[in-house]
Amino acid sequence: MSARNVEGGTPVRAAPRRELTLGAALPLLAFLALAALFPFLPLGSRAEFLLQIAFFTLVAGIMALSWDILARSGQVSLAHAAFYGLGAYGYALLLKAGLPWALAMPVAALLAGGASLILGAVTMRLSGMYFAIATLAFTEVVRTIIQNLPESVAGGATGLLVPALLGGNSRAQYALAWGLLAFTVLVSLAVRLTRLHFAFAAIRQGEETARVLGVSIVRFKLLAFFISSSLAALAGVLYAGKTFFINPLETFSLANSIAPLTTSIFGGLYTTLGPVLGAGVLRVAEELLHNSVKNGYLVVYGLVLMLSILWLPRGLMGLRRNKKHGGDL
Amino acid sequence: MTAATTTGGALSPTPQGVEVLRAEGLSKRFGGLKAVQDVSFTHHQGEILAVIGPNGAGKTTLLNLLSGVYRPSAGRLHLGGRDVTDLPMEARCHAGLGRAFQIVRPFPEMTVHENVTVGALFGKPGQRLPKARERAWALLERTGLAAHADKAAHELTLLQDKRLEVARAVATQPSVLLLDEVMAGLRPGEAQEAVALVRGVRDSGVSVLFIEHIMPVVRDLADRVVVMDQGQVLAQGTYREVTADPRVVSAYLGTEEGLHA
Repeated sequence: MSARNVEGGTPVRAAPRRELTLGAALPLLAFLALAALFPFLPLGSRAEFLLQIAFFTLVAGIMALSWDILARSGQVSLAHAAFYGLGAYGYALLLKAGLPWALAMPVAALLAGGASLILGAVTMRLSGMYFAIATLAFTEVVRTIIQNLPESVAGGATGLLVPALLGGNSRAQYALAWGLLAFTVLVSLAVRLTRLHFAFAAIRQGEETARVLGVSIVRFKLLAFFISSSLAALAGVLYAGKTFFINPLETFSLANSIAPLTTSIFGGLYTTLGPVLGAGVLRVAEELLHNSVKNGYLVVYGLVLMLSILWLPRGLMGLRRNKKHGGDL
Repeated sequence: MTAATTTGGALSPTPQGVEVLRAEGLSKRFGGLKAVQDVSFTHHQGEILAVIGPNGAGKTTLLNLLSGVYRPSAGRLHLGGRDVTDLPMEARCHAGLGRAFQIVRPFPEMTVHENVTVGALFGKPGQRLPKARERAWALLERTGLAAHADKAAHELTLLQDKRLEVARAVATQPSVLLLDEVMAGLRPGEAQEAVALVRGVRDSGVSVLFIEHIMPVVRDLADRVVVMDQGQVLAQGTYREVTADPRVVSAYLGTEEGLHA
């Protein structure tokens, strides 16, 4: 009785939304294409310097996007520096142990992923501020452990020399970083377009309701941690191989945990394009400011960030038309 | 058109049909407070079972024990012959317990269709996304929400929200659906539509257990009624039986008009 189709007539079967359409993916493809073309531009005498900035922009993109994947499951983490550092140190130590770099890289990523499961299991029942503080403490624990390993192993507080990635060829290094960002983008899209999206979003928007509807939150929260931290570790590998010298203080610095968070918020949370775009814009802005406002560029930078968060609550992604929930990749 | 829901006349204490849910001496203490005490009842397949009682009788605590929000201090719960007492919420859902909340809890950043898809996708293990999407569509059509599929949940009216809450729970393919005061806050006309909705759910083969304050709704909808008072079962039987029970009348003392409305 009347609990039927109110439209009458033919049953409505609108095309399910949020499919991966070329239109939705276009900005993302354009961004990646531009990034791929960058080394072929006539960069002139400052090529090395510009390539380095571009390289770390890609690294920032991987960090932000991997952080966002974890955030989609409602876990706002301050442990990204830990995974970054575990990637960097894991890679360096595996090279020391004699592994070829191409093997050391994925193994370091998986090791960081494994370590994240410990953190994920401990923080399973925490949320909000308590979760954030626990992840922050985790970073300190990891840093302290690495710093206090015998100096012959991990270099202690002084740090560790890392063989330069790809023989120090900056174009090849850039290509590798681009490839890893593209890989991160693919992982993010895969999360977005499969059942993981529904699980993560449901947990974020109502954990108890999600459980009542059968979402196995333990499994999905840990999976989010594993994916996110492995990708962040890849960024750490790139960092270690590019700077060829790492120390605990810089590698595990709070800034490495905060930057992915602010970048994602600035670009647009829970999207693929947002964090990547945010990294591009913020990194370039940072360099420009650094050049023009030598002293206190951080003040201006912070101000830009604050104002944009105030005026653009949905980040850069909020600037797009047709943004009514969904459609965004 | 309406299935035989009026069993009020016949005095048949023998339970008909197959048991789907059985509570055995369920108890829950919060410190010194005995919120639920030694509650036992049997719920049969295809039955609409109402749990009524004055405020503070322990109805919602009982529902939380059934759906797994709380673990009982004592007692067992069987679902389809299987002991589910120690299962967490998500496993109880997989075992066949669906639940709709009194205060609707849609996922705010999802569309109506996506909300139902979550239930269709995770309610039982091993569901595929395209299939879950299809089933969500079918449920939206059945519950009169198809026209609102792409809306955000906060754009719905209260009645539509309740429909969504029920559709999402039904999407998990439960054998027993637990409803916590779905009629609360609805106008009389809307309540009638909600009654039809619940009947439709039962007619699709789902046994329904609901908590309700509004006695006419209980009279129209319930095959059997469990009356609770101060955490305990005071009486069980058909609507007519329990409302004729002097203990029930005295528990409701002062609201007798409500009882006989």
